[in-house]
Amino acid sequence: MSAGGGRPAAGPSLSKLYVNAVAMAAKARLLRTAPVLTLPSRAAEVTGIRADPAKLTEFQHLMGQPARDVLPSGYVHALAFPVAMSVMVDDEFPLPLLGMIHLRNEVEHLAPIQYRQPLAVRAWARNLAGHRAGTQVEIVAEVRAAPDPAVVWRGVSTYLARGVFLPGLDKPGLDKHGLDRPATASAREGFDPPAATARWRLGVDTGRAYAAVSGDFNPIHLSVLSARMLGMRRSIAHGMYAASRVIEGIGSPKPDAFAWDISFGAPIFLPATVSLCVTDRSDDGGGWAGAGFVGWNASSARQHFSGSVRVLPA
Amino acid sequence: MTPRAPQPAPAALPRRAVVVGGNRIPFARAGGAYAKASNQDMLTAALDGLVARFGLQDETIGEVAAGAVLKHSRDFNLTREAVLGSALAPTTPAYDLQQACATGMEAVVGLSNKIRLGQIDSAIAGGVDSASDAPIAVSEGLRAILLDLNRAKTVRRRARILARLRPKDLSPDSPSTSEPRTGLSMGEHQALTTKQWNITRQAQDELALASHQNLAAAYDRGFFDDLITPYRGVARDNNLRADSTLAKLASLKPVFGKNLGAAATMTAGNSTPLTDGASTVLLASEEWATAHDLPMLATVVDGEAGAVDFVHGRDGLLMAPAFAVPRLLARNGLTLDDLDFVEIHEAFAGTVLATLAAWEDPDFGRDRLGLDGAFGTVDRGRLNVNGSSLAAGHPFAATGGRLVATLAKMLHDAGTVDGRPARGLISVCAAGGQGVVALLEASVQDA
Repeated sequence: MSAGGGRPAAGPSLSKLYVNAVAMAAKARLLRTAPVLTLPSRAAEVTGIRADPAKLTEFQHLMGQPARDVLPSGYVHALAFPVAMSVMVDDEFPLPLLGMIHLRNEVEHLAPIQYRQPLAVRAWARNLAGHRAGTQVEIVAEVRAAPDPAVVWRGVSTYLARGVFLPGLDKPGLDKHGLDRPATASAREGFDPPAATARWRLGVDTGRAYAAVSGDFNPIHLSVLSARMLGMRRSIAHGMYAASRVIEGIGSPKPDAFAWDISFGAPIFLPATVSLCVTDRSDDGGGWAGAGFVGWNASSARQHFSGSVRVLPA
Repeated sequence: MTPRAPQPAPAALPRRAVVVGGNRIPFARAGGAYAKASNQDMLTAALDGLVARFGLQDETIGEVAAGAVLKHSRDFNLTREAVLGSALAPTTPAYDLQQACATGMEAVVGLSNKIRLGQIDSAIAGGVDSASDAPIAVSEGLRAILLDLNRAKTVRRRARILARLRPKDLSPDSPSTSEPRTGLSMGEHQALTTKQWNITRQAQDELALASHQNLAAAYDRGFFDDLITPYRGVARDNNLRADSTLAKLASLKPVFGKNLGAAATMTAGNSTPLTDGASTVLLASEEWATAHDLPMLATVVDGEAGAVDFVHGRDGLLMAPAFAVPRLLARNGLTLDDLDFVEIHEAFAGTVLATLAAWEDPDFGRDRLGLDGAFGTVDRGRLNVNGSSLAAGHPFAATGGRLVATLAKMLHDAGTVDGRPARGLISVCAAGGQGVVALLEASVQDA
């Protein structure tokens, strides 16, 4: 194992960022500083990021995939994540990092990335907006693989700071009486699940296992105790674990040029049995055009996530 | 995806491969009579019986191929070790083969082809499985630690590796019948297929009952007397319930597809149980059989393997034979109506019935098989007439050998039909969305 330890690559240390986030949250509470309404103008950029082959192999095996020399799309997200997080701990960033909820991910994976290619990651925040439960923001990460100057991977992650309402931002989920729209309320209850094409049995250590391969040691994923300290009744699976596992399981066209998206619903409290339905889609010529997917709790039928994979024209 | 076209008929091979006969031990429900018997024990027992039946003591056989689905890593040379422990000449080469539940079928097809090509004169195909004596592995965590420990060169490094050990690493890893890519068991997969083809509970129970009744009748008239050697006090397949009734079968609760509600139709009665057992088949060229004064029951005419894309549910896990059989028959210029016996492995009653339903469906025939309409209908009076896996049990790799020996004897007994050798088909589905099917015909020497 390299000297990098648990971190996927050179770049901001995630554990340090989490410590900073705790300190900032405490400071904000003590000082009651006035809320900031704008996003940081500068982008964070880190170059020379390299995948650690040992961690990459562990990541691929955790997703049930063979250890290929090209990077799984979810692993690129893990490599870019510390840079994206450094945007969210910027002094000018208006929302608290801790307790942020991952709502959605949209990724364009434009070309295969060999694991030995040094990566340059550029990340910035955009589209600060109201949400019925708080304030949401998009973090964009663009990845280039040297020596090619073109973007090979672009991800947009949407986060929600629950309970944080910034003056002047709309709350689109509320009607004029300030009540939840029926549509959103029903989405949070069960749905009529289709026949499952797969089942995941996730042990209590699923969060720790993904933290070890991704470097994302957010305490809500690690143990019951650390999750309770942050107000969760049990630890939950990383959204990106579910995303990576389903995307890798569906597979991508060769060479990689595809887009995928995932929206997260009810958190996956561990341990869990998740049912999954993948529906392949064909193009006009009968070729594979992508797939839609949905995951839900096998016993309560609460929806955990849904999304799609689409082949991009080469 | 366009349907895979059948291969053109092959150029005539130098000679024919015939089934001389077979021998198996009775199949026993897991955890019962053979609970302490290993795969090697049972394969050796089946082999010994075959040697005794056909006088093969000290004979050098061209090649022996067999396998097991649930296999210990120490059994890397399982078949060769069984040969060395048998009365066959130690100069008999052997190899292990594994294609899940189609292992025995693939052994028969592959060895027959070697005989037809003139590479060998005689062969023994077999298979064995013990669900009782299944391998249990250490956890992935402990395995990684032990392997790293083995590679470590210093005491300090070894101590650091040992410090990685956690209590959860000590819990063992048992084999499972779940498909690795879906996490669903074979029964759960079949439950989806059973529902997709609208197979009723009643139809499944009727098929299961017929299997028990047919197998019991075959035993009663002595059909298996020269196909089975008793072992460990078992003389008949002990899963056989000769006195089963539709009412008894109807009283069983669904065990697979329970989340399908009213569409849950699969019970322990219309699904095969976990079973222990072994089977062998003696194959030869006609010259070798004649020279050894041995019978020739049937000719192995042709075989075909197939696979389906089951992972996202495009086709059922166990539906590969629904595609492989039409290709096999087309290549040989035959239809289902030209068959005198049809043996479809009863992994689940629903597997057999869904296969028959697909063949009777004009849309499936047109869209998936590339035919003008439905592939055809199997005359139920020709289907699994001496019982099949629902009654006999299903020791995964041993089922192919059971089917080939049974069908070869049925074809031999039938002799000629309408002036041509009697014909039979075997269809076996397997894990991973696979299947192997084969065409046999009676060996009629004066034809």
